[in-house]
This record gives sequence, structure tokens and C-alpha cells, in this order.
Amino acid sequence: MSDKVAIRRLATGVPGLDEIVGGGFPEFSLNLITGSPGSGKTTLAHQIMFALANRDMPALFFTMLGEPPLKMLRYQQQFSFFDQDKIGESIRFVDLSDHLATGNLDQVLSRITKEVEAFSPALVFVDSFRTVVQETPHQVEAIISQQSFIQKLGIQLSGWQATTFLIGEFLTDRGSHPVLTVADGLLSLEQSVHRNSVVRKMQVIKMRGQATRPGMHTFRITGDGIEIFPAALVRGDTGEALETAKQLRNMTRLATGVPRLDEMLGGGLPSGYSLLVAGPSGSGKTILATAFLKAGVLQGEPGVIVAFEQTPSQSWNRTLDDMIRAGQIGLINTRSPDLSIDEIVQHLTKLIHQMKATRVVIDSLSGFELAVAPTFREDFRESLFRMVAVLSGLGVTVLMTSELEDRYIDLRFSPYGSAFLTDAIIVQRYIEVESCLQRVMSVVKVRASVHSTEIRRFEITDDGIVIGNPVSDFEGILGGQPTRTKASRMADRGETS
Amino acid sequence: MRIALAHRAAGALDAHAVAEATIGTWRQVDSLLAPVIGTQGVDVIFRRALYLTSKGFPWLASGEEYVESAVLLAGLKARLEERCADDVAQAGYSLLVCFTELLTTLIGEALTERLLAPVWDFPSLSSELEIES
Repeated sequence: MSDKVAIRRLATGVPGLDEIVGGGFPEFSLNLITGSPGSGKTTLAHQIMFALANRDMPALFFTMLGEPPLKMLRYQQQFSFFDQDKIGESIRFVDLSDHLATGNLDQVLSRITKEVEAFSPALVFVDSFRTVVQETPHQVEAIISQQSFIQKLGIQLSGWQATTFLIGEFLTDRGSHPVLTVADGLLSLEQSVHRNSVVRKMQVIKMRGQATRPGMHTFRITGDGIEIFPAALVRGDTGEALETAKQLRNMTRLATGVPRLDEMLGGGLPSGYSLLVAGPSGSGKTILATAFLKAGVLQGEPGVIVAFEQTPSQSWNRTLDDMIRAGQIGLINTRSPDLSIDEIVQHLTKLIHQMKATRVVIDSLSGFELAVAPTFREDFRESLFRMVAVLSGLGVTVLMTSELEDRYIDLRFSPYGSAFLTDAIIVQRYIEVESCLQRVMSVVKVRASVHSTEIRRFEITDDGIVIGNPVSDFEGILGGQPTRTKASRMADRGETS
Repeated sequence: MRIALAHRAAGALDAHAVAEATIGTWRQVDSLLAPVIGTQGVDVIFRRALYLTSKGFPWLASGEEYVESAVLLAGLKARLEERCADDVAQAGYSLLVCFTELLTTLIGEALTERLLAPVWDFPSLSSELEIES
């Protein structure tokens, strides 16, 4: 039997928060929620309080000189989590501004202690803490007094078995606040401005005794409060899990829905693989993606499409539209100036689970890059890598399209260097033959599988993509201006080599 | 609200008792709200309510705008006591209603009712009514 103390974690139910702090806030811990004005500190504190407070776990919310309590109550009521029935019963607001105005921190502490003794709260919130630091006169004495105040407060509240949240602007340009060392947990909220887009981000700087999710996590404030999109975590699979995944991949191959393409891929696309379809505008990438989803639907496998085309309704073909309307294909078509890849990954993961989807299409990476907030574009490649890894961990088969400007001097697959991320690559190109544009397609890569290396012509008809024979009568196709091979010229003249 | 005032006045007909009841009710409102929204928060709404109510009852206006709350309240009580009981009851009622309405526009009806519930809660009054019936 272990004699170690078991720390209960208070799961808040705030979407994404428990995931990033490592399962919830440790009971009786002293936590700081810090951030600049407007970063969402009070909203987060209220959301945590309304989620956790009940008759057995009452909460005390102390307000200081920061946001006037009248305004706070007025605006916080707009959020759906604000449950008025809890006020007075399990939640009590206490305004400390009068005590604070005297500048005597001992009086403030004494009032807090008195209220805590009277109400015996399991949760204590103090908002906003910076005011304690700034409003006191005589700065030198104040600093000593504040340190002592914070330490006393921390000790008293943990002695009273209360989980405490101090809300304020603790991180300043002049350095960190002494309370940071006393705190058990530290959440930092910020609004990151890049060009004309503003993105909200949250970081768990510290959470004693438990593993937190590293990184900056984007969040959004809606009518329901704060929703955090934890930075996608690539699961460290055990060797056993990897082997299982490998076995699964080797077992099944998926039909792409394009006749002859399965043959080119060496018998279909291995299940769980990620496939990159690269090609210039109009080459038929979305049509190929639609065929891939339809092939799944025909076998009773739902799919999900993440569409970033500018005018989706126009660019989608009817087949895709019908499948979406029939509920066979889930659609994610998010547009907002603060969109992060993690938010998309979260929506996608949820929809995949909800629909039990096995096939996922991202159309297109180019549109995706344009859709995310500018601040994420610098890290687009890394985020893409994590997204592919997360999807791979879910066991779904992914088809991503990538618009590629045709360059006839080199063979490129993707502007994001994402080619190495994917297990398979199909490249589509235009070639000029006898003053006409023709489409060709080739399978460039299928990891751990034999596949065709032929370059084949294909056409787009009303029935979809029709792949023709290998282009054996021309050479120099990748240069864009193929010339007839010697053999075909001789054949035309009726000669034999 | 009217019942609360009547109960506090305990059927008294003199202006002094009605004024006491009005101020007493106000003090209770203040004691319930000040810990939540702060004394400043209560004070600012009260002054606004007094200003608005004075339009219907010009004799309520103090003329001294920047005095402390305690002085303001003492002045109000003195002015109430100068009037007849009916005037005091009407003005006191209007003032408290106006205050409640202002608070409602800021924090909503439900929360206002919840915070001020003890003002309207008279166990002794309800038990008296029960006995009478």
C-alpha cells in the first residue's frame, strides 16, 4: 500500500482546460491566472467557479479595485455558464475595494480571513490582484508588505483547505512578481497580434505535481465562455502499438474510387496512410478526393472533408454536395480571422469520432494556409506535421490536396515540404501535345509498397476521372513540352526498329 | 416593496415612523448589496435613484450633490420627516422602486431579486397573516 498523499484533481469541464493542465487543478493549490487587460482572465475564473461550485464546494469571489463588481456581474451574465441559482447559495461575491482604499493590506487580509472563516469555501477567487500591488501607497514599504500579504494569504488559504485562484497581471516588463514562486499553478493568457488578426493564446507555465500539455494553446471566447484548443499532441506510441498499426496497414487497402488508380498504387491505398495529391489548378484534385470519399461511402464508411476553397458551393461537384446533405460526409468549412490549426484538428477529431469516419480529405493545403491566422503561417509546416500525426494516430486514411504551380524545370510536390510527411504521393500535371493541354498523373510514392511508376494520361468526364494508358509515345513529359519517342515516330512511318 | 415598507412602518401614521421605515429598508438594501457590488457601487445607483425620484417629488432633492453618503442619508431622513406620512410613504416607495429598477437594468431582474430577497422576506409578517386568515 502506498503511503503517498493522493492529490485530488478538480476537473473544471472548461473545454480543453483540464487537458492542458494535466487533468484538473490540484485540490488546495494556489493558482494564478495572469494576462493583460481583455485577455479573458475574469471570464476564465468565472467559468471555473461556476463549473466547480456547488453546495459541498462553495466558492468565494473577492473583487478588488479592478473591474467594478456591478459591471462584472452585468457582463459575465451574458455567458451561458453564469448560473444565477448558485449565487448566494454556493457562490458569494465579496467586494474588497473599500478595505483596499485604506492601503492597509492587513485589513484586506483580515477581511478575507473573516469571510473565509464565515463561509468555509472550498474555492477562493481574488480578482484582480494587480490592484493590491499598485494601489498601495509608499512603494518600498508596499513591496515588503505585498510579499508578506501574498505569503500569508497563500498559507492561510491552503490551511483553510481552499483551492485558490488569484487573477491579475503578474507578469510585467519589469520582471516577475514574487507571488509567482509561491504559486502552485500558473496560467498565462495573452492576445497575440499579427498584422490585423488577433489570436488568443494560453500557456500553462507551471502546475506542480502533474504533467501539463506544453505549448501555446489557442482559445476562443464565445457565448458559452472559453473554449481552448489544446496544441495537438503526437502520441508516443509504444513499440507494440506501432506494430499493430503496421499490421493493420498491411492488412487492408482502400479503393480510391478511380478505376486503374488502385492498380497504379499497387492494389489500392493502404488503410491509415496519408496521401498527397499535388497538381495545378483545375487538374482534378478535388474530383479525385470526391471519388475517394464516395468509394468509402459506397462501402458504408463515412468520411469527413475539410474544405477551404473560397467558394465551396461552386467548386464542389454535385456528388460531394449530395453526400454532405445525406450525412454520409461530414463537412468542416470554418472561416475566422483567428483560426488555428489546433482548432481545426480539434473539430476534425470530434467529427471523426462522431461520424466514425475512416476517410478524411483536406482540400486544399493551400486554402488551409490562407484560412489560418497569419501568426500560424510561420509554423504551418510544423503544425501540419502534428496534424498528420494526430490523424494517423486516429487510424483514418487521409487525402490532402495541394495546389502546385506547374514548373517544368523541376518536379515538386508541395510548397510546404510536406511531401515527406505523407505516406503516398500522386502528382498531376498538364502537358502540351499538338497545341492541346492534356492531363497526366503519376504515383510518385507509396511507402513500403510497390507501385506503378508510369506517367498516365487521364481525362475528366461527367463520370469522374478516367485514366488512360501509359504515355509511352512521348518523352520529356515532365518538361511540359513532350516530344514523340523515336519508336513511336518509326511506328507511324511503318518502320520497325 | 410597498408591503416591506408598510411592515416596517407597522401601520404607523406619523411621518417620523414612515421615514424610519424607508431609511431602515434602505439600510438593509445597502447592507445586502455593498459586500457584493461595493459601497461605491451602491452609492452611485442610490444617488441616481434619488435624482430621478426628485423629479416627481422635488422636495426630496438635497441640493448638496457632493456630500458623503452618511450626510446624504441624514439629510434625506430630515426632509422625509418634514412631510406628511402619505407623502413620505409615496416618495420612499418611489425611491426604492427606482433604485431596484436601476439595479435591474444593470445586473438583470433575476440577480437583483436574488440579492435583495431578504428585504422582501418577512417570516413574522407571513406568520401574522397566516394567523389572521
